[in-house]
Amino acid sequence: MQRRSMMIHPEDSVAMVLEDSLKGDTIKTARGEVTLLEDVEFAHKVAVVPLKKGDSVIKYQEEIGYMLCDAPAGTWIHSHNMGCDRGKVEVKA
Amino acid sequence: MKFMGYRRPDGRVGVRNYLAIIPSVFCANKTIERIAAQVPGAVALRHPVGCAQVGLDLDITARTLCAMGTHPNVGAVLIVGLGCERFKPQELYEAVKASGKPVEMITIQEEGGTSAAITHGVELARKLKEYVDVQERTQCDVSELIIATKCGGTDATSGLAANPAVGNMADRIVAEGGSAILSELNELLGTEDMLAKRAVSPEIAQKIYDAIHEIEDLLQSGLDFRLSGNRNELISPGNFAGGVSSVVEKALGGVHKSGTSKVVDVLQYATAPEKGKHGLFLMDYESHDGEVVTGMIGCGAQIVAFTTGRGNPTGHPLAPVIKVTGNYKTYESMKENFDFDASGIISAGDSVEEKGAQLTDYVLRVAEGELTSAERIGGDELFCIGRRHGYHRKDAGAMLNTRDTLGCC
Repeated sequence: MQRRSMMIHPEDSVAMVLEDSLKGDTIKTARGEVTLLEDVEFAHKVAVVPLKKGDSVIKYQEEIGYMLCDAPAGTWIHSHNMGCDRGKVEVKA
Repeated sequence: MKFMGYRRPDGRVGVRNYLAIIPSVFCANKTIERIAAQVPGAVALRHPVGCAQVGLDLDITARTLCAMGTHPNVGAVLIVGLGCERFKPQELYEAVKASGKPVEMITIQEEGGTSAAITHGVELARKLKEYVDVQERTQCDVSELIIATKCGGTDATSGLAANPAVGNMADRIVAEGGSAILSELNELLGTEDMLAKRAVSPEIAQKIYDAIHEIEDLLQSGLDFRLSGNRNELISPGNFAGGVSSVVEKALGGVHKSGTSKVVDVLQYATAPEKGKHGLFLMDYESHDGEVVTGMIGCGAQIVAFTTGRGNPTGHPLAPVIKVTGNYKTYESMKENFDFDASGIISAGDSVEEKGAQLTDYVLRVAEGELTSAERIGGDELFCIGRRHGYHRKDAGAMLNTRDTLGCC
């Protein structure tokens, strides 16, 4: 089924689902319709375009982190597949 | 814009009228609690410091306790010392005395033990309470208000609804000549360029960069990758569970609670703005909820606007803490802990302006005495005194270099 979602800026690379959503559900975004590849909880992020390892993840029109692996559109984006080095000693390899 | 507040002898304006019983050292904690228990309406400011401290750490304790004693939400003060502590109760006494409000002081060693100190303390506190009870509200201007902003228990809705609503309210207070404070600089990593662009002058822009880079440097010095993973996280497990994936994502959502006003200065912990300076301030401190809220109240904030997506019951003994959420699920499940539901911005198409205007009205009602959820519950957890040890690097140039090696994210 189609779920409610939100993108902060039309050029962001992620949207947030506004309800608990299931694999196979769809969301309508400024960058086209996206089918969820896994279950995604309320307020969590979904890639709205294919992302490659090392790509910046863009939300609020700013970089919030970088991809640790490739991820097609519809992938749940969170700390398991997105890194961020600010405030840490270890830097991006 | 006007509201009814308490005008103090030093000209500052309070929104509450407490008798504060303050220990100069933790050794007096049980004594002050037992005195306060016998004097209805008195608040006991229990804390864990006041001795065995040196340098900046002891100075922050002294500064904070003096700021609590002279705070405009306080009508009168009873100080209880032990008698041999490093932070001398006399220093606190002099500071409160200079603000013109009634103050009394005893020490447990001079009184001859706990019981004698409690008996004398209750007698003095009752007299001070009589003075406090006859204070009346008078008409005051909103330009006298300082609103502290804070997020705690953040989820992804905080950055979408709760923080923008608080930011809109902060803009309205600042537009009326009042002030707001943003802090938690470790959770502003990644927003320094935006904030520096909003500085009133290049000098203040540099102060913003220096403060954020110094905090980043401090964070780096505190991490230890020999320890297991969760010892080195920069945001909390609840933030992750709520859909926030990095400290920068949290920062980009968090910075909204400061609104859009120019940044007029960067304040030190628990230090009032220069006389006559109003507007949006940053306070240089990290994000421990209690320590940072106490620091902003120490800067003179009379009210705290606290956003939380996950839900949070905490309050401060000296200042009303307004709980704002953007998460309709949390609001429904923890209603007793909330004062303002901004979730309509996400779920009902409400505008940020509309919610900001409603929140501003609520802030003024709280300023005039309406109790917040945390006050009804008696929450006082947020009174915590900041700690700093002399381990940070002071070389701003070196801090800028670390920024280059780190890259953006």
